[in-house]
Amino acid sequence: MNATPTFGRLGDHAVDRRRFLGLIATGAAVVGIPGLLTACSTTPTPAATNPAAAAGDVIPKYIPVTYIDPDYPSVNGSVPGYESIPAELVQSVKDAPGTGVVYTAMTPLWGTVPPSKGNKYYEAVNDMLGSEIQFQITDGNVYGDKLATVLASAKDVPDWVCIPTWNLPPRFGSEIVENVFQDLTPYLAGDKVTPYPNLANISSDAWKFCVFNGKLYGLPFPGEVITDAIFYRRDVLDSLGITPDVKNGQDLLDLALELTGGSTWGAEDLWNSAAIIHAVPPKWKLDGDTLVHRVETEEYREALAWNAALFASGAVHPDAVADQSGEAKARFQSGKSLIANDGVGGWHEAMRDNLASNPAYWQQPFDPFAADGGTPVLWKGNPANIFSFLKKTDDEEKIKELLAIANVLAAPYGTTEYDTINNGVEGVHYTRGDDGLPVPTELAATELQPTYIFLVDPPISETHVQYPGYVKAASEWKANAAQYAADPLFYAQQIVEPQQYASIGQPFVDLEKDISRGRKDMKDLDAAVETWRASGGEELRAYYQDILDQQS
Amino acid sequence: MSLAELVRRRPSEVKPGEPGGAVPAQIPKIPTRKIGWRVRLKRDRSLLLMVTPAIVLLGVFAYVPMLGNVIAWQSYSPYTGFLRSPYVGWANFERVFANPLFLDAVENTLIITAFQLVFFFPIPILLALLLNSVITPRLRTTIQSIVYLPHFFSWVLVVTVFQQIFGGAGLINQTLRDHGLGSGFDMMTNPDTFLILITMQSVWKDAGWGIIIFLAALSTVPPEQYEAAAVDGASRWRRMWHVSLPALRPVIILLLILRLGDALTVGFEQLILQRGAVGADVAEVIDTYVYYQGVVYGDWSFAAAAGLVKGVVSLALVLGANKLAHVFGESGVYKRS
Repeated sequence: MNATPTFGRLGDHAVDRRRFLGLIATGAAVVGIPGLLTACSTTPTPAATNPAAAAGDVIPKYIPVTYIDPDYPSVNGSVPGYESIPAELVQSVKDAPGTGVVYTAMTPLWGTVPPSKGNKYYEAVNDMLGSEIQFQITDGNVYGDKLATVLASAKDVPDWVCIPTWNLPPRFGSEIVENVFQDLTPYLAGDKVTPYPNLANISSDAWKFCVFNGKLYGLPFPGEVITDAIFYRRDVLDSLGITPDVKNGQDLLDLALELTGGSTWGAEDLWNSAAIIHAVPPKWKLDGDTLVHRVETEEYREALAWNAALFASGAVHPDAVADQSGEAKARFQSGKSLIANDGVGGWHEAMRDNLASNPAYWQQPFDPFAADGGTPVLWKGNPANIFSFLKKTDDEEKIKELLAIANVLAAPYGTTEYDTINNGVEGVHYTRGDDGLPVPTELAATELQPTYIFLVDPPISETHVQYPGYVKAASEWKANAAQYAADPLFYAQQIVEPQQYASIGQPFVDLEKDISRGRKDMKDLDAAVETWRASGGEELRAYYQDILDQQS
Repeated sequence: MSLAELVRRRPSEVKPGEPGGAVPAQIPKIPTRKIGWRVRLKRDRSLLLMVTPAIVLLGVFAYVPMLGNVIAWQSYSPYTGFLRSPYVGWANFERVFANPLFLDAVENTLIITAFQLVFFFPIPILLALLLNSVITPRLRTTIQSIVYLPHFFSWVLVVTVFQQIFGGAGLINQTLRDHGLGSGFDMMTNPDTFLILITMQSVWKDAGWGIIIFLAALSTVPPEQYEAAAVDGASRWRRMWHVSLPALRPVIILLLILRLGDALTVGFEQLILQRGAVGADVAEVIDTYVYYQGVVYGDWSFAAAAGLVKGVVSLALVLGANKLAHVFGESGVYKRS
């Protein structure tokens, strides 16, 4: 019942496109267009600006506040966990900051859209804000479609727009953001953030990620350090008498094959997991002084070979082979497949969705391991995976009011604001159980959908106390995994790539599917890499090299 | 020449001057009187009034948006607009034709169209003839309703149903596996049989819907013609060949021409849904290509140019097919008076 600060992203690799294609293409694939750039190679490479150096001056000063000490403190940047709800909650913002007007906000939702009329949850939160937020909620799976159209018409944009990073449309940084959204630098940079203590409590990395072209535009939804995990159905494996001991890539292949039989398959498409255990860099890595792109690396090649071996072994569910990734979660949760990749946020969502019908349900992530059995390297996720933007306006008071509202919404765990936003109203949306933990009412199921959390969020914390054993297991796993966390190159920098390079990386999304499924082989990869280099890859490398040089 | 022979001969075979033939040529041309437009306007005003809303709608929703195609000659961005986006001449078209992936998409499109022209197009005709021979009206409507129904299913549903039946974990393969007959054949992920698969899906979904127009054409055939043929001793087969099919011929030609005009449009949703299962090499068609280029990657001008090329080729195909129909003495889609 707590709102979800992170999202399960099964098969996340193609998530941007998948969500973009949305309903008509649940899990449909993606396209590749090399050679597109050959025609525009005469276009001079735009001069790289240095986002990181600029970001330091425009982000808010970091002033941490703590209302309650976590039971599982952060280790190496892992998410802190709380086992219980404090008896005394603190109200972090004394007076409702709003002036009683109505603001529109556009947000995604992975769930059932709640009623807007007579919604007691909305009323409670709006009371706290002093102004009304009127939501335009769109199914998260098709959010990108709607976003692309809304953003193309600047004057029709709502006052407040949530944009997940995977839905960022092409040309966002180069054109859209400055034409459509408000530059928040004059309101939040450095000390100017002091009137908004809850916003100042958000980490600098998350803010840095909201900087486009040297100006602060976004309000962050801070992300997990380790975003993904390889889950297995521990409850099912227990009943089979199998205790997995996976130390390297081969172990996982063997386990997946062992679990396959009858109408059960060992695994979903584990491409994302393959990338994790082979430490495939998210974008670039440094080889000596040279930048090497993800697709050129040996890690990428090995990960592809590993995933192809998994498919070839027959351990992948046939529907996953048919690329029906939209139903991957359903297959995994119903036990048709037993190993699947997911975002770490998918863990508590799965508990929420399955505990009622299957009290024994438990999915467990494997402890991190490297494909060769060595020390794993886990690349840190984006410091913010979702952000929101305010519509461009000359009305300073309006911006200030919206920021004050954001300050309420960003109240951390242990405050009344956080409690209301995540649990609703006591006696209406939940009752206290004997152990003091909230028990959601039926009304909560219809009204209490996570909506405000898409506007701005406090630093991430693990607070799903209502699932027995979950906070402990999750916090321990995250703390363990965090020791392997490493900064990828250009971490926490919002680099705006010139538009002409937007699609040169796309053939690889197709190729990853083709090679995994045995339709193509490494020769095709070599050819695609050559095409990539010829059609703009080298220019892109030079562009990033420029940024790197400016930073050193 | 016996009467029976005459009946069997098609009108076009009957030479002028023979009994039953057309009136000899050289009909004097009737002079048409020129009527001033004012008079015509006054005479036809109620008709014109009735057609106005349709023309306005067509103009507003079809022709005015078409002006937007100007972006194919621009380096367009929604934030700079039509007026201020720079003109780049034919550069976008050059990119379209220089792009091997676009040409692949064209090739795939044409292969699918050709295959479906042979294996999909005739099926509704056969079905209609079959249904037409079912006498009991109740049985006929029941069958009709059953074969129509899948038309109203979305492609997502159709693909899912096929996956559930023919997929690797589907009904057939699971049954085979349960009886120790091997793991069978995963039709849904095999690029080699993809053409057959999508044609099967199209037939299941739309063949029933396609028969409506043929049934309508068949219902206009006067029963006397069948009776007369029967009296002359024509068998069932003969009656179909000499009465039913000639009645359908103009409709078949018309639909064929329209289909040719659509030759470059093959099931967008159907293909985009199954692209990942079989790979872009066989499943990328012009429409999916334009979608990814334009909408997903925001290369609006390039996509508009590719779309325009498709439009021009389609128009040429329709005009060509129509001309061909005239050559063979059919009326086609339209005819100049």
